Amino acid sequence: MSVEVEVNENDLAEMVEQVWESYLDPEGINPLIPTYDENQPSEVHSSVSITGSWTGHIVYASSTQAARRAAAAFLAMEADEVSQEDLTDVLGELANIVGGNVKAMLPPGAFLSLPQVVLAPESTARFPNTQRISGVYGIWDGEPVSISMWHSRADNNQEVGA
Amino acid sequence: MKILIADDSRVMRQIVVRTMRQAGFGDHDLIEASNGREAFDMAKAENPDLILSDWNMPEMTGIELLRQLRASGSDVKFGFVTSESTPEMKDQASAAGALFFIVKPFSAERFDEVFAPILG
Repeated sequence: MSVEVEVNENDLAEMVEQVWESYLDPEGINPLIPTYDENQPSEVHSSVSITGSWTGHIVYASSTQAARRAAAAFLAMEADEVSQEDLTDVLGELANIVGGNVKAMLPPGAFLSLPQVVLAPESTARFPNTQRISGVYGIWDGEPVSISMWHSRADNNQEVGA
Repeated sequence: MKILIADDSRVMRQIVVRTMRQAGFGDHDLIEASNGREAFDMAKAENPDLILSDWNMPEMTGIELLRQLRASGSDVKFGFVTSESTPEMKDQASAAGALFFIVKPFSAERFDEVFAPILG
């Protein structure tokens, strides 16, 4: 079963903005500034998978420093107090929050996985038979952060064949 | 009041606790569980007045937790705090007896709006 995805870059950007407003930049001082650079570097990433009515992945990627700052903001501590466990937990939660919001915009029958965190660049990740369909790429306080959506090509093929 | 917060994410439990404090509900007794199974056992042992639960958790999901609590005769006040929110999930939650559905990311204002009528 497959459906046309109804989540575009503006939707994704709006979800990301809400995360910044709620947790990462509640005072509105350090927003994520768009770079539109799909190839910007990262050092860590996290992802959740969606299956069912739509199949694909949501990936959050950033520099280690940006992940440390995110963890500090989430946990109300200083960046130099952040442990590796804090960092991985927050990365997982970021993918989970965006993934959950994406899922809410998909047709009924989508299922969200638990998050996976990898302390290595997004470029090391491979999601077989997928293509990037949407992404928000930006600089947060001088550090790269991106959120991208990858759609399973198996779904696309079914759509074409249908 | 005793309030049980069930979420597999330690970070999110911490944020829920902090937001409860920011919204002015920090004086309540806040206890935590890291999955649905643990939350069920704690609900039975600790008798909380209110449970705030994530939806997607290992061992036992939030909706399974709510259904098992009701099946065991518990009528504890229960609501979801989750990043997932679809009309079908809200229907399931409501049918199972949930009082509210808070979507992540959330604000202290949203907590106040939901909890003021419940916690006074």
